[in-house]
Amino acid sequence: MASVELNNLGLTFTVRHDKHITLKDFLVGRIFSGFTKKPMLVQALAGINLQVREGQRLGIIGHNGAGKSTLLKVLAGIYQPSEGKRVVQGRISSLFDIALGFEQEANGWENIRFRCYLQGETPPGVLAKQQEIAEFSELGDFLNMPVRYYSAGMRVRLAFSIATAIDPEILLVDEVLSAGDLAFQGKAHQRMREMMAKAQIMIMVSHDLEAARSVCNQVLWLEHGTIRMLGDANQVIDAYQHWASVANQKGESNPGGHVVQAAA
Amino acid sequence: MIFGSDSSTFKQYLAEIWQGRFFWMSLVRMDLRSRYRGSALGMGWSLLNPIFMTIILCTVFSTLFGQDIHSFAPYVMTGLAVWSYLSQSMTLGCMCFHQSEAYIMQHPSPMAIYPLRVVLGNCFHFAISLGLAILLALWGTGWPGLLPLLSLLPTLVLFLIFGWSIACLFGLMTVHFRDVKHLTEVGMQVLMYLTPVWYPAKLLQERGLGWLVQINPLAPFLELIRAPLLDHVAPSPMVFGSALVVAITSFCLAAWTLRVREPKLIFYL
Repeated sequence: MASVELNNLGLTFTVRHDKHITLKDFLVGRIFSGFTKKPMLVQALAGINLQVREGQRLGIIGHNGAGKSTLLKVLAGIYQPSEGKRVVQGRISSLFDIALGFEQEANGWENIRFRCYLQGETPPGVLAKQQEIAEFSELGDFLNMPVRYYSAGMRVRLAFSIATAIDPEILLVDEVLSAGDLAFQGKAHQRMREMMAKAQIMIMVSHDLEAARSVCNQVLWLEHGTIRMLGDANQVIDAYQHWASVANQKGESNPGGHVVQAAA
Repeated sequence: MIFGSDSSTFKQYLAEIWQGRFFWMSLVRMDLRSRYRGSALGMGWSLLNPIFMTIILCTVFSTLFGQDIHSFAPYVMTGLAVWSYLSQSMTLGCMCFHQSEAYIMQHPSPMAIYPLRVVLGNCFHFAISLGLAILLALWGTGWPGLLPLLSLLPTLVLFLIFGWSIACLFGLMTVHFRDVKHLTEVGMQVLMYLTPVWYPAKLLQERGLGWLVQINPLAPFLELIRAPLLDHVAPSPMVFGSALVVAITSFCLAAWTLRVREPKLIFYL
């Protein structure tokens, strides 16, 4: 029985102007404090309470920078929450940033193996799957070539084929994946629908409200890192659309998460 | 994902590392393969590199200082093997988290596997050059006896623990301070001259600088390898003890730092 639960969860992180400080800056900054730029504390998520049970299809909507992708990464266990608790039962499969992190020097077959192992496969499992992955990607002999020579479209195709060759219990998806050329996209959408149907729990971040309406039975509207509204998909999306059109007329723009304070 | 204060979460952490074994083992294999991809000799380079260095150093030392080549060649070879293992664990360890950034961003795995990836690759090269050193020692000084040879087994465990610890520590430092990598490279150059890697330790003792070796935390690791191969005795409890203390201390430091920093690490990559 898969389930996901977030209890009063919050995430804060520090952002520096130049991201990395050198050891010299750190030591000198200690002596002449005030010389180095102060890091800013960003509250990306705050007070999130969420329970997702088996059978639910949850969509996450909100403006850019509202914390949608951050929330998804917390759900996936990639970001550790600064406050609150995350309790997950079931195996998580996540589909985001899939085109990142190919080993450039290794060929397609080897990359299939790495990815499968990263997703928790065992050698017999990989053996059983790699042929199917290769066929779905339609890359043929290119799989014997190092990934460094692949075009962007080929990479996405390979990444998508690997990432979706799983039986997900809990599926996390960021945006709609546009994979490869038109013919492949049709195939990809078909497979996404199958996966979403198979998963016990599906959580997706979406900008495409109509897609969210058709796929999800529940929607979470995130604003400034907090839950503005959570409930039935149609209700929440209607409310969001109404709010967005009003905000548009007023000419309001929505900056991202709160910058809480300049940390010392 | 984090080491807990009680032993059960530590065990769970180890179990997670074990569950991901196929992943990090395949990374190690790929690192080894891609390092020599496109080179005609392939793995042969990791044999040739220490051989050439040993030949050069032996020629210099035996002609200039009249060292006996039979004992000196294995001495240099063991020194170089140990040194390149330790220095590579530090310098390659610096980039261990950055190198694996894409995986860290995509999938929650125990961070400890990334220094492990570096160290296991190093272990492979260490094993090759140690094998050469053993052959050279057999030629130069004869059969060391079974017990001294067996003493190499616990030694290798210490090397693995120490190597992982320094790779992890330097990796964590580099994540927070980008210049650590350059500092390390310079520091290793200095340290190399303070450690009897390829010059006889006698040279230091004769000049009253023997204490340099005694306070050097890396020196016992050289002695662990040299005692059985060159002097045909198991390392003294003193040497073994100090190496153990250095390895365990650095391991605790690395594990504790990782436990504290692991949840935030991803925001600094």
